[in-house]
Amino acid sequence: MGNRLKRMVALGAAGVLGLSLAACGGDSNDNGNKGPGGNNGEPGEAGGTLTVLQHFPFESSDPNRIYYGVQLASWRRTLYRGLVAFPMSEDPAVANTPVADLATDTGTSSEGGKVWSFTLKDGVKWEDGSDITCEDVQYGASRSFANDVIIGGPTYLLNYVDVKDYPGPYKATPEQQQAFDEAVSCDGKTITFHFNKPWADFPQAIAGLMMADPYKESQDKGDGSKWTILSNGPYKIEGNKWDKNKGATLVRNDQYDPATDDPEQLRLALPDQINWEVNPSDTAGELFNDRLIQDGPKDQAAITWARLNPAQLSQISGPVEDRYLNVVSPYTDYLVLNHKTLTDPAVRKALAVSLNANGYIKATGGSTVAEPAETIINPGVSGSQDNPAFAEDNDNNGDPEAAKAILEEAGVKMPVKIKLAYQKSPTQDKAMAIIQQTWNESGFEVTLDGQGDTYYDVIAQPDKDIDVMWAGWGADWPSAMTVLPPLFDSRPNFSSTTCGNDYGCYESDEVNKLFDDAANAADVDTQVGILQEIDAKLGEDYAYIPLDNQKFNWLRGSKVTGFTTTPASSQYPEIGLIGVAK
Amino acid sequence: MWAYAARRVVIGILLLLALSLVTFILFFASPADQAKLACGKQCTQAQIAVTEKALGYDKPVYEQWAGFAKGVVAGRDFPIDQAQREAAPETVTHCAAPCLGFSKYYGETVNSLIKDYAPISISLAVVAVVLWLFFGVLLGIAAAVTKGSILDRGIVGLTLLVYAFPTFFIGVFFLKYVVVKWGLLDYPYYTPIAEGGVWGWLTNLWLPSLTLALVFLASYVRMTRAFVLESLGEDYIRTAKAKGLNSRAVLFKHGLRAALTPLVTMTGIDFGTLLGGAIITESVFAYPGLGLLTVQSSQAWDLPTVVGIVLIAGSFVVLMNIIVDIAYAFIDPRVRLG
Repeated sequence: MGNRLKRMVALGAAGVLGLSLAACGGDSNDNGNKGPGGNNGEPGEAGGTLTVLQHFPFESSDPNRIYYGVQLASWRRTLYRGLVAFPMSEDPAVANTPVADLATDTGTSSEGGKVWSFTLKDGVKWEDGSDITCEDVQYGASRSFANDVIIGGPTYLLNYVDVKDYPGPYKATPEQQQAFDEAVSCDGKTITFHFNKPWADFPQAIAGLMMADPYKESQDKGDGSKWTILSNGPYKIEGNKWDKNKGATLVRNDQYDPATDDPEQLRLALPDQINWEVNPSDTAGELFNDRLIQDGPKDQAAITWARLNPAQLSQISGPVEDRYLNVVSPYTDYLVLNHKTLTDPAVRKALAVSLNANGYIKATGGSTVAEPAETIINPGVSGSQDNPAFAEDNDNNGDPEAAKAILEEAGVKMPVKIKLAYQKSPTQDKAMAIIQQTWNESGFEVTLDGQGDTYYDVIAQPDKDIDVMWAGWGADWPSAMTVLPPLFDSRPNFSSTTCGNDYGCYESDEVNKLFDDAANAADVDTQVGILQEIDAKLGEDYAYIPLDNQKFNWLRGSKVTGFTTTPASSQYPEIGLIGVAK
Repeated sequence: MWAYAARRVVIGILLLLALSLVTFILFFASPADQAKLACGKQCTQAQIAVTEKALGYDKPVYEQWAGFAKGVVAGRDFPIDQAQREAAPETVTHCAAPCLGFSKYYGETVNSLIKDYAPISISLAVVAVVLWLFFGVLLGIAAAVTKGSILDRGIVGLTLLVYAFPTFFIGVFFLKYVVVKWGLLDYPYYTPIAEGGVWGWLTNLWLPSLTLALVFLASYVRMTRAFVLESLGEDYIRTAKAKGLNSRAVLFKHGLRAALTPLVTMTGIDFGTLLGGAIITESVFAYPGLGLLTVQSSQAWDLPTVVGIVLIAGSFVVLMNIIVDIAYAFIDPRVRLG
C-alpha cells in the first residue's frame, strides 16, 4: 500500500482511500444493517440515472494501469469484464471465490498450479461490436510487461509468467514476442498461462486486478491510451474518454449481451445511465456528504465514495440513519518495529504489551472509524485469524506494569528511548500522543516524529534513526500472499539504499523459506496454512504490532436502492447492485 | 529605448531558464523516490529501475535539464527511449517547439496540458480582476472622498475583515453554505463558452472569481483610498479648485487620474501572477486550471508538468514586469539610463 497510501494520505481530510481490492469481513452496525457487508435499501428495478460523486481523480482509465480498489471494483461491474470476477455476495466465504465472467469457467490448473487455462465464452464483444478474442487477452497480459510505458499498474505477471527479459509488446524483438506468445498461448478461444512457479490463487488475482484483462491491440497508443476506454461491460463512456478531473457519463452499451453474463452474481446494471462526477477538491468529500445528508432533489439518486467525517457522523440520526452504513474496511494499520535499532526482543515485546490501541482509535474518531486489529491480515482476507502474540491477554488498553516487568526481567535500563514516526496530520498528532503517553508510563521515553509527504521514503531508508513507524496496508486481492510477502520478505525489498516496504528492515531466513513454501503451494488451502504460520512467526519476532482495522461510513441518497457493500467492492458501495427508485 | 526593452527581455529569458534549472535541482534534492512512487505498489528494485529510465530520471540532472532546454528550442519526440520509438512508432508523440516536456502521469505533452488548463485560470483571473477593480476602486474613492465619516470607516473596516479571512475559508464558506446549505446558487462547474455560452461561462465563474476578488478587493480599496487622498492633497488640486472647477471634475479629471497610475501597475502584476493559476481557489472549487494542475502534479511528483507550470507562471510574471518596466521607462526617462 505504501506508495499509493502516501498519495492518499496526502489528500488529507478527504480521506481518499481506495487502493486495494482486499475483501473484508465487515460487521453489523448499530443501525440495524445485516450481513458482513452491510446493507440498506431494498433491491431496485432497472432504469433511472444514478449519480456517483467521487472526490479524487483516478490515475488512469487503462485497465493495465488501474490500482485503486474502488475503481477496480466499480469498473469491473460497469466497463471492464475479466476472465473471472468476484461475486456480489456479502458473505466473505462466497465473495472471495471467483466466478466465470468472460471465460466459461474459473480456469483449469495443471502442473501443480504452474499452468492455468481459460476458454472465452461465445458472443462476448467490445463496445465497437468486434468479438473479444483470445489474442486480446494475450495482448492485454503482454502490456503488463511494458512497465516503461504502462507505469503504475500491478506487476505480478512479471514475476510469474515463464518468459525471460520480455520488455512488453512495444519493444519486443520477434524472438522475444514469440517467447511470450508461448508462455501465454492462444489456441482458438482458449488462453493458457505458463508460470515459472505455482500460482495457486491466480483466478483470485485476475478477478481482483485487471492485469490479464483483454485489450484490443488496434486501440493501443501507449501513453496516448491512458484515458481512453473501450468497454466490454454493460455500460460505455460517452465520448470514449474519461476526464480525469470531471469524470464521464456512462450509458448503456448496446453490444453487451446479458446472456453472456451472470447478472445476478456479477452485475445487475440497473440504472440506464450513470453520471460519474469527479471533483478533486480537498473539500469535495465533505461537501458531497453534506449534500447527501440534506438529500435535496438533485442528490436523491446519488452515492459517494467519500467517507463521512467524524463531524458529520453526529448528524446521522433519524431518517438520515436509514441511509447510512458503517462497515469494516479492507485497510489495516500497524506499527513497524525497526529491527536494526530495536535488537532486544524484550523491548519489542514490551512495546506491544503496552500499546494503547483503544486510546489510539478513540483519538482517531472512535468505534465508527476503526476497530482494534489482532493481526496485520485484514479480517476480509482468506485465512485471517488473530495472531496469538497480540490477541492473548490483550484488552487493547496497553499494560504499562506488564511492560515494565518485561523490561526489568530482561535487565533493560529504563527509560528506553524510542523515536516514533508517523505521517503528520492533526488527527494523527493526537492519536500518537496517546500511544506516547502509555509507552512513557511503561519504561519508555518516546519522541514523536511527524513527517510530511515523503514519509514512506524516509521510513524505507535502511539507516534511519527511527525505532517505530506507523504504516497501513490493504491486500490486492483477498489473499495474505498480497500482505505478508510484500511487507516482510526481505529479498525483493532490500537494496543498498532501501528496505522497500519492509520498513522495519526485518530479515529472517526462516520466514523467507516459508514465503517460498507458500509461493510454491499447489492449492490455496495449503498456501493459507503456511501464511498463518508465517504470521504467527512474525508475531513471535514482533516484526509488527497490529493497530486497527479502519471502518467506512457511507451515505446514500433517498432514492438509491440496493445500497450494499461487499468484499468484492472493497467495502465501498457495491455499484453492481445499486439501482434508482422511480 | 528599444535597447532597454531588448535588455529586459534577454534578462527575462535568462531568468526563466534559471528558474527551470532551480526547479530541476529542487525536485531531485527531495528525499522522495519519484520512480518508486510512479512504478507502483509491488515493484521490485529492477522494475523501479526500468521506470526510472523510462521517466528519464536515471540521467544526471544537468543532462535532463539540457534535454528539456533542447525541447524548448527545437521540440522533442516522446517516449525519450529511441529504441521504443523505432519499435512502436504508433506510441510516439511529437512535441513541437517550444516543447515543455511530456507527462507520463497525464499521458500527454505539457504543452497540451497547459493549453487545456490555462483557459480556466485565465477566465478566473479576468472575471476576478474586473470584480475587484470595479468594486475596489469604487469603494476606495467613496472612502477617500468621505474620509473620517462612518461610510469611510465602515468600508475600511469591512474590507479589513474580509482581508483577514484566508481564501480557502471564503471558498469553503460559499460552497458549504451559499450552495449546499442555503441552496442559493447551483454548484459551480467550469463551463467553457463553447458549451454553455457566455452566460453559462460567467454564472459558473461567479463564486470562485468572487472568492478570489474578495481577497484582492480589500487591498485595492485601501490602496485606492490612499492614492486618491494623496493626490487630492497635491498643489495642482488646490490650483484646480482655486480655478473654480467643481469638485467632481477635480476628483475625476485630476485627482483620480494621478491615483490610477500606481493602481494600473499593481493590477498588471497581480493579474500576471493570477494567470499562472490561483492554486487555493482552483483547488477549493476543483476548477481544472493551472493552479489545480500545480497541486496535482506536485503531489504526483510529475517533474515535466511541474517545470512547465513554473515556467509558464514565471513567464506571466516576468512578462508583466517587463511591461511595467518599459512603461516606467516611458514615464520616467531616468530609468532608461539605469
